[in-house]
Amino acid sequence: MRDVAIAGAGIIDFGELFEQSFDEMAEQAFMNAVEDVDHGIEPGEIDAAFFGTLDIANDASSGLGASHSTGLFGIPSSRVENACATGSTAFRQATTAVRAGQADVALVLGAEKMRDSAEGLIEGAALDQVWRGRGVTMPAFFGMRATRHMHQYGTTREQIAKVSVKNHENGAKYPHAHYQFTCSVEDVVEGPQVTYPLNLYDCCPVTDGAAATIVVSEDVVEEYTDDPVWVAGSGLSTDSLLRGDDEALVGFPASTQAASQAYDEAGITAEEIDVAEVHDCFTITELVTYEDLGFCEKGKGGEFIDSGAPELDGETPVNPSGGLLAKGHPIGATGVAQINEIYEQLRGEAGAVQVGNDPEYGLQHNAGIGRNATGSISCVNVLSAERP
Amino acid sequence: MHEPPFVRDRAANERLEAWECGSCGYVTIPERREVCKRCGEYPDWNEVQLAERGTVQSYVVQQRLPDEFETPLPVAVVDIPQQGGGEPARVYGLFTETNPDDVEIGMEAEADFRTMFDIDGLPVNSFKFKRPRGDRL
Repeated sequence: MRDVAIAGAGIIDFGELFEQSFDEMAEQAFMNAVEDVDHGIEPGEIDAAFFGTLDIANDASSGLGASHSTGLFGIPSSRVENACATGSTAFRQATTAVRAGQADVALVLGAEKMRDSAEGLIEGAALDQVWRGRGVTMPAFFGMRATRHMHQYGTTREQIAKVSVKNHENGAKYPHAHYQFTCSVEDVVEGPQVTYPLNLYDCCPVTDGAAATIVVSEDVVEEYTDDPVWVAGSGLSTDSLLRGDDEALVGFPASTQAASQAYDEAGITAEEIDVAEVHDCFTITELVTYEDLGFCEKGKGGEFIDSGAPELDGETPVNPSGGLLAKGHPIGATGVAQINEIYEQLRGEAGAVQVGNDPEYGLQHNAGIGRNATGSISCVNVLSAERP
Repeated sequence: MHEPPFVRDRAANERLEAWECGSCGYVTIPERREVCKRCGEYPDWNEVQLAERGTVQSYVVQQRLPDEFETPLPVAVVDIPQQGGGEPARVYGLFTETNPDDVEIGMEAEADFRTMFDIDGLPVNSFKFKRPRGDRL
């Protein structure tokens, strides 16, 4: 199996992009990725495309969505869908194809148009479901963990709020973030209630966006860059939609499993991760993810945020780009944008949000969900500044 | 709209019937399948009857939902014991007739038979939870 590296990354400003079509967003992200390649790249050199989208805009339905928006015809192109882990799974599939020799240069393209329709994911409240989601929206699903975590571990409402404060502080420095404001613990705790115990600033916004990454094999990497970022490991795991065990009340077992796979493949432990972009669709999600990924012990997520470790200048900076909470969560694009941020961090090109610990290993994590208060799907990718 | 699923799940939806894995004791509701979601075996399954009262394991109170729902709406993960002993089933359910401030982890929740919604005028019935009033069993 061959080593795989990232040679280029592109993103557009996330936000309410009513003036841009799905294809315009995807095309611009692709062009930005092409522009980003140090030694340049011809689109004709791309020999596979992996398109991550939930297709909420109902605009693509296949890998053709990537081909049509970029003009890359005549090559293998497939659509990847894995709930909120869509973008990270598309990246995983692209790196796997390059590793296996099926392609030398692969495009990962993630895009989502969330704002065109008012319903969006709220239709997932599943009006005509009895057991598998009726009346359960995303804030409810994740909020279940918040209520239980506070009860079981003594985690405080303020500790959970601090995740939002940190991420909005980072987002205000990150040029592509949907939201560029800062907020205080008080703002979060006293904000409008969405679903007890979560308030407005505990929730990521509904955002349009697109991002693209170009991955290349070790055989051709020198044609494109002298400063590649390498893919060190990847993991992907699932949990049942209906089987609720105690562990799943306070975290996401699938995240722990995916991380374990990725650490094993990279030959590292959680302690060696220097920077992470993790799934913070809600504040509580990031807090339990600290534990799920092994950044701290089970139940100590509150202490971890209190310690300052995940801050920009902390020991393990988490979500320097502002996370989903500030940057936004255009589902198919989310994981790809996270990968791109880790790529920039490991190259020392993250500008105002560059972490201060000269990172060698970076981690990207998504956790997507089923409809009941249990199931999850998680994808974790580990990148390395040095060749594995 | 999808009527067949409600016909298939009537025993679970309307009578709180569940299935117990003969290998590890895991209780599944509302779906009955050949493979156990917990131990991975292909066991014999025993049909079991759940009690009409369980214990709240976690909950949220939803404030913003589509018009079809009354808010504020508490939703909880509830463990419901079997009538004949064995492991409880873990389900989630909507609350009704309950002050959201009264819901807490460890609280007992009583299952009440209700119409959840209707499809083309035909009711789909199942259970909603509420805070028990007195000690009806």
